[in-house]
Amino acid sequence: MNPFIEIITKPDNIAIVIMIILVSFFMAWAFLQAFQNDKLMALGQGVDGERDQDVDTYKPLVRIELIIALVVMVGLTVWSILVDAPLEEIANPTITPNPAKAPWYFLGLQELLVYFDPWLAGVVLPTLIIVGLIAIPYIDINPKGNGYYTFSERKYAILTFSFGFFILWLLLIVIGVFFRGPGWLWYWPWQEWDTQRVVFEPTRDLSTMIGIDSRSIGGFIIGAVVVLGYLVGGMIAPYKYFKKKFPEFLEQMGMIRYSITMFLFITMMSIPIKMILRLVFLVKYIWITPWFNV
Amino acid sequence: MENDNNKKASYRGYVFAILSVALLGLSAWVIWNDEFGLRPWKHYQKEYKSLKHDKLEKEYQQALRDFQTSGDAKKLAALQTQLKQAQENFKKKEVHDRYLQVSARLDDLKAKIAENQKAMQTVRGQYLETEYYFTKNQKPADKARMDALQKQIDSIDKEGKAMQAKMEPLQQEQLKLMGDIPAIQTQIEALQKPLSEKKDRIANNESAPIEIRQRMISDANKADRCESCHPGMEDSKDVSSKQPYSKHPLSFVYLGNHDPAKFGCTFCHRGQGRATTTIEKAHGNVEYWDEPLLKGGMTQTSCLNCHGDIKDLRGAESIIQSTELIRKYGCYSCHKIPGYEGMGDVGPELTRVGTKVNYSWAVNWLMDPKKYSSMARMPKFFFTQDQAEAVADYLFSMSGTTRHDVDYSSETPDEKLVEQGKVLWSQARCNLCHVTSGRGGNHIKMYAPELSKVGSKVNKTWLFNWIKNPRQYSESERMPQFTFTDQEINSLVAYIVSNFTDDDAEVNYTTPQPISAASIKKGKDLIQQYGCYGCHKIEGMEQVQVAPSLRAQGVTFLKSDEMKEKIGTELTSIGSKPVELLDFGKMKKTISNDRLSYLKQKLRDPRGFRLGLRMPNFRLSEKEINELAGVLYGFTDSNVPTRFLVPSKTEIDKMAKVAPYQFTGDFAKVIETVKCTNCHTIKGIGQDYAPNLTFAGSKLQEKWIRGFLANPDVIRPLLQQMPNLGLKLATVKSKITMPKFNLNKQTVQDTNKSDVDVVVNYFQQELVSPDIPKNIPVISDMSMEQQIAAGKALYDQKGCMVCHQIGASGGAVGPNLSNVGNRLNPGYIFVNLENPRRFKSDVVEPTYGFTERERILLTNYLMTLKLNNSDANTK
Amino acid sequence: MNEMFDKVKKNLIWKSVFRRDYRNTVRDRAAAIFGNVFLHIHPVKVRESAVKLRYTWGMGGITFFAFIILTITGIVLMFYYHPTVSHAYEDMKDFEFQVPYGVISRNLHRWAAHFMVIVVMIHMFRVFMTGSYKAPRQFNWGVGVILLVLTFLLSFTGYLLPWDQLGFWAITVGTNMGAATPLLGYQGPFSEFLHITPYNDVRFALLGGATVGGNALLRSYIWHCVAIPLVSIILMAVHFWRVRKDGGISRPQITDKETTL
Repeated sequence: MNPFIEIITKPDNIAIVIMIILVSFFMAWAFLQAFQNDKLMALGQGVDGERDQDVDTYKPLVRIELIIALVVMVGLTVWSILVDAPLEEIANPTITPNPAKAPWYFLGLQELLVYFDPWLAGVVLPTLIIVGLIAIPYIDINPKGNGYYTFSERKYAILTFSFGFFILWLLLIVIGVFFRGPGWLWYWPWQEWDTQRVVFEPTRDLSTMIGIDSRSIGGFIIGAVVVLGYLVGGMIAPYKYFKKKFPEFLEQMGMIRYSITMFLFITMMSIPIKMILRLVFLVKYIWITPWFNV
Repeated sequence: MENDNNKKASYRGYVFAILSVALLGLSAWVIWNDEFGLRPWKHYQKEYKSLKHDKLEKEYQQALRDFQTSGDAKKLAALQTQLKQAQENFKKKEVHDRYLQVSARLDDLKAKIAENQKAMQTVRGQYLETEYYFTKNQKPADKARMDALQKQIDSIDKEGKAMQAKMEPLQQEQLKLMGDIPAIQTQIEALQKPLSEKKDRIANNESAPIEIRQRMISDANKADRCESCHPGMEDSKDVSSKQPYSKHPLSFVYLGNHDPAKFGCTFCHRGQGRATTTIEKAHGNVEYWDEPLLKGGMTQTSCLNCHGDIKDLRGAESIIQSTELIRKYGCYSCHKIPGYEGMGDVGPELTRVGTKVNYSWAVNWLMDPKKYSSMARMPKFFFTQDQAEAVADYLFSMSGTTRHDVDYSSETPDEKLVEQGKVLWSQARCNLCHVTSGRGGNHIKMYAPELSKVGSKVNKTWLFNWIKNPRQYSESERMPQFTFTDQEINSLVAYIVSNFTDDDAEVNYTTPQPISAASIKKGKDLIQQYGCYGCHKIEGMEQVQVAPSLRAQGVTFLKSDEMKEKIGTELTSIGSKPVELLDFGKMKKTISNDRLSYLKQKLRDPRGFRLGLRMPNFRLSEKEINELAGVLYGFTDSNVPTRFLVPSKTEIDKMAKVAPYQFTGDFAKVIETVKCTNCHTIKGIGQDYAPNLTFAGSKLQEKWIRGFLANPDVIRPLLQQMPNLGLKLATVKSKITMPKFNLNKQTVQDTNKSDVDVVVNYFQQELVSPDIPKNIPVISDMSMEQQIAAGKALYDQKGCMVCHQIGASGGAVGPNLSNVGNRLNPGYIFVNLENPRRFKSDVVEPTYGFTERERILLTNYLMTLKLNNSDANTK
Repeated sequence: MNEMFDKVKKNLIWKSVFRRDYRNTVRDRAAAIFGNVFLHIHPVKVRESAVKLRYTWGMGGITFFAFIILTITGIVLMFYYHPTVSHAYEDMKDFEFQVPYGVISRNLHRWAAHFMVIVVMIHMFRVFMTGSYKAPRQFNWGVGVILLVLTFLLSFTGYLLPWDQLGFWAITVGTNMGAATPLLGYQGPFSEFLHITPYNDVRFALLGGATVGGNALLRSYIWHCVAIPLVSIILMAVHFWRVRKDGGISRPQITDKETTL
């Protein structure tokens, strides 16, 4: 069978296909409505739903709830009839499947293991994701766009969230499910998986690029300067910029809110940065310390 | 607004209705599917029941017809009239009244007896209680009470007995009054029984529930539901020969020895025992199930799971035949296989091969052994000319020789010598083991080399030394040493060299050429890379075989086979190796990805999976591939409960710390030269191509042994030898018998005893059974002549001649008895007649259950059957 | 037809269950909501936007419905399942081959679980896109994020229960991350300062052992069937309650805007 069809018809992966379809559909729908509302607002008209009246809960809402429940039930039943839940061989600690994949919704994190050490990819980043998500309402002080789809009124919030949600979370999941084969090597869907395939990727550390051993004190210092410089500089530079251009915005934000927002933002941006460093410049570590590596 | 809402509402009503109907339909489908779609066994069981019904019904009808035609029906009618008559008699007033009277009195008595027994129980209880107190306290009052109670007991007992006595006449009278009724009724029942039984079976079949039938093996966590679809598996007779309704083939062997309630199905047949929904799932032919069903002869591979020794295992015939291939090709030389440790080398020693063969021959052989002989067992290593030369260079350099060939084709052989050699060749029965020009090699399991072209392979000097004493060249050589004179050997060499030649043989190095050091180095590397030392002894190669773990401890030299590191993958549990761990490589798309297909493909084309594999190609036939893969499939790290395991004799001996038997003294030396155990089994050592000699001393007469060793003759008919020897029928032209080893010519150092004396002596000292008496009991009331005559009568009467031959008449299944009086000891005949399986378990001869007297008579008769020497020789 | 309806509706049993006739009056429509233990989580009247599919996509409701399906099928599965190494896998096989409606129950459970994870993510996306986390709903967004994490964890702990290669190694890979926790995982940074070994680190606590084994199976089972559902239900109650108390489904605020009507 065609390896691509084989991989997408694996019972568990059907869920991912469904996810891709659903997410794309709703993404399109959300942005469509957002642009429509933006257009309405540009014309000076009220957004969708602004003139809504109250209606009885019984029956309009109850009915639509029941219909949705029925649709879901029918859909799930059909899915369950057509596709059997997978059950592989009995657990055997002595046979490690290659690749050993985490549950699909964690494959984004597993994909990050290529670029970060486990303590970052598996612990620190997920924790920051949760903390960051909870923090969103408190750091987003833009009062507009509450209760309707809009893009123009909260461009930066939506772009940042979409980048994190679609690219860093969902796209990495899709890559982990469909494009990663034995040895966590990249396989195009039409490529045959080969457990014996070895890809030798010479990697280096950042300081070795300029000829300093990354495990030496010099390398340590360079790494520390780069990492801490990124964190501190990433917070100070925009601060200077905002102070000059939008002082009132900075005032509204306040110092604490600004630092938390900026910290979360630059941490998120460190993921694509590290990915590019790794993929384009073959950099494995930026900073090597006796305790941890970044 | 309201209007709009309503419109929407009605529209949603339709959606609601459609969805509800859809869900209802889906639910109905789920219910139907769960009831029927997922339970195909219901259909099979129904079909089975109807087949069984038809069969039982047929049997019943047949029985009914038999009943009518055999006259039983008439008998029944007559009995029924009799019964009617008897009943009418019984119904007569005076009889009936009397019967009622007697019955009433009997009932009365029974009630009284019951009362009596109850009273007895009470008093006895009291008595026991008092007795307890008395033994405890020793009070005289208790003693008195005991006596009183004893009296009471006695009186009650007396009363009871009296009543019992009264009952008996009453019961008899009752029976008498009933007349013949009970007797007739029993007769009728007996007559109807066969029919009613058949009817019951039909009813039982009818009421048998349709349900999942499973065999639970709780300690192995198994639930084998195979019989849900194969309900007739445990039947003694087929309901239908069609699957899934038929019974288990040869069930008296397989199920008889492995009660399905204890063993289930999947220990032997694999497959997915729990599965019931589809054939593919149940048979395990699905993804994520590594154990597909084993069918037919393949199933015998499972015997290896539990049976340590399958040599004489009934029902394991095809796997026994297949395991022979492991021995033939010496798989254990490169792979670790349990039970094949210390088997010795498959190939000849190569340390001094440079003194033996032509260089050109060696190179050609290395490149393709089958080109030289189609019977060659050595596999093809796909060496290039350069590589083959390098390997040959290394081997030749070991014996300090150069690249050299000898060519005898231009020589004119000494005709007289050759003729002499030819006679000797057939006298010594060389063809028994060796094949020449498609003839001989009857002992195919001996795997002696084919000699058709050997004259163009080896040189005369080597050949001479070899025949003189094979063990001088290689210590572990199996070929017996014949005691030929030098003159005889010369004639044999002349015959072989002049007769068995290869016209296509290359001889490129009649003028020797020196060997380059680089080539030697390359050859050594190749030998190490491909592990030639696995099958051949090559001195100096031992250190490379030391297992790395031992090498780390500083061990540099191998002392025993266990320390050897095998070059190939361990095969101990290849039959249960997870499919994920098998590397299908390039063949992933070409062959089906299961274990058996992998094994077959590996045997077919060992290096086809990917580059860099080392296993050579044995060029097995498809039949051999199937057989060998089947055996390998049985090497599992089985999850069989230990209670199933049947250890082999060697394992038991090991556990019991019984040392294996060892030959002693001069006899050990004889064994070493003549290699008796190549064919005979003695005290559990050796092969079973020839008769077991463990009790030869008790069995055979000394004179006969001497005569036989001097001039061996056929004893057993071919028919019987064939299954043991694996004879190739087409090649059998001459009778098969033992080669002549000229033992009488050899004398033991420092004594003037010949080897024959040694053998006879050892037979009589060591190879005796305490169960076999020297002499048989004597019958005193008959003269010897009478006894012999009676014995002969018995021989004729029991039909012995059907199998045995005496003189020119008789059958050819058992041994020829014409000369048995000279051959066997009377004690052996006497004991063997009692139970022919006593000394050899697979003997055809039935146990007749002779009385001791009959055995004496027969023995005495048989002991008279003697041929004189000249007769024996002309035969 | 009407007569038949009357017969069904005008008897003691019907009345005892539904208490009143429904005549499609304002009062009866309201009573249908507050008189019903399941429906009274809703207000009697809602903004039209709450009814519009294009606004809410029904994602929160679908998530909850998936949770209900999972609870029901989960209970069915629990009847037949033993969380022990020797039985778990065989029980899975029995679901397929022997248990009545075992196949459909297990399939529904598995696919509904995947579905719930997908839907809960889309729900979050919708709430973000409509800015519904903004005042006064900040707290409820936080509750929602925790529910999202709990959904992942519910699915994750259920992965091991079939005791097959898929689940076993997914859990092994997943929990190996725990070993890398800074300070508390034995492979994590600074753990040597706390004398952390494979036998006292976070992963050990998660698995009840240094490797995935019988204890891990039991722990997964308890987290999956008892602990996490319990916490989820409590948080769901909070979540739903706060939806209503924070003003129902979010909607455009028109206070500071001039309507062009």
